[in-house]
Amino acid sequence: MAYSEKVIEHYENPRNVGTLDKNDEHVGTGLVGAPACGDVMRLQIKVSDSGVIEDAKFKTFGCGSAIASSSLATEWLKGKTIDEAEQIKNSMIAEELHLPPVKIHCSVLAEDAIKSAIADFRSKQAAKKALAGQ
Amino acid sequence: MIDPFQTLGVEARFDLDPDDLARRHRDLSRALHPDRYAGAPAAERRLSLSRAIEVNDAFRVLKDPIRRAEALLRRAGVPVGETAEPKPSPDLLMEMMERREELGDARRRKDLAAVHALADAIRLREREVLASMGRQFAVSDPDSTKLAAVLPELGELRYLRRFLDEASAIEEELSS
Repeated sequence: MAYSEKVIEHYENPRNVGTLDKNDEHVGTGLVGAPACGDVMRLQIKVSDSGVIEDAKFKTFGCGSAIASSSLATEWLKGKTIDEAEQIKNSMIAEELHLPPVKIHCSVLAEDAIKSAIADFRSKQAAKKALAGQ
Repeated sequence: MIDPFQTLGVEARFDLDPDDLARRHRDLSRALHPDRYAGAPAAERRLSLSRAIEVNDAFRVLKDPIRRAEALLRRAGVPVGETAEPKPSPDLLMEMMERREELGDARRRKDLAAVHALADAIRLREREVLASMGRQFAVSDPDSTKLAAVLPELGELRYLRRFLDEASAIEEELSS
């Protein structure tokens, strides 16, 4: 199957590969996987006190489309507020990367990873507030 | 979709005897060999050829435990594939992420022994998962949607397979 130029570009020069400290209260981590193909994707965001994503990192073991989808997602996340980040939809990723129908699930995985990183960040913040309120 | 068990004329079960499977494939392939149909009418030649292709496809499916499990589930009406299966457990994802990172580190260090050791551990796991799946398939009614209980292990098996494919590519790269 032929990959689009944009997928190849992200695959060969992935942006923001790496790790953030998952124990940092400003960091949200999303770990998701696609059981049908054995892909695993970790996406992390670091959120400033004003609610802006100042850094994003990913690590994906999977096909080129999964790597490109998560690479693009981290690029888009940086500089966005949490609320803006929640608006990122898999269809936007699939469209940007020209993913064929059989690879749409890779962009779904990236959207799941974003949502799960945000959920992790929010639950950390809620836990912090609960602790402060005691 | 054609039932590969029916095509090869073997019982629909997970624990297939690999020798028996290979024998069925060989016998059917011989019977359908184009040489036997050299003098036959064109329609019959075409039919035997398409049967031979079906037999080869079915053999490939049944030889592979992942595809064999998928075929059993489909027969029982359990949907398999991308969106139909339960999400992998966080523990499995965490573990596979760590193992894949260790594999990547071993590759960077060009540490072939470490790659072998990681692959051996995963192969052991693969055997355990296969045995457990065999037990589950054996106790369930083969036509029941209760077979869906095997899906998490099938997902795990795919993760292990992915790991082992990656490991053998690295082994090849490092030993050449």
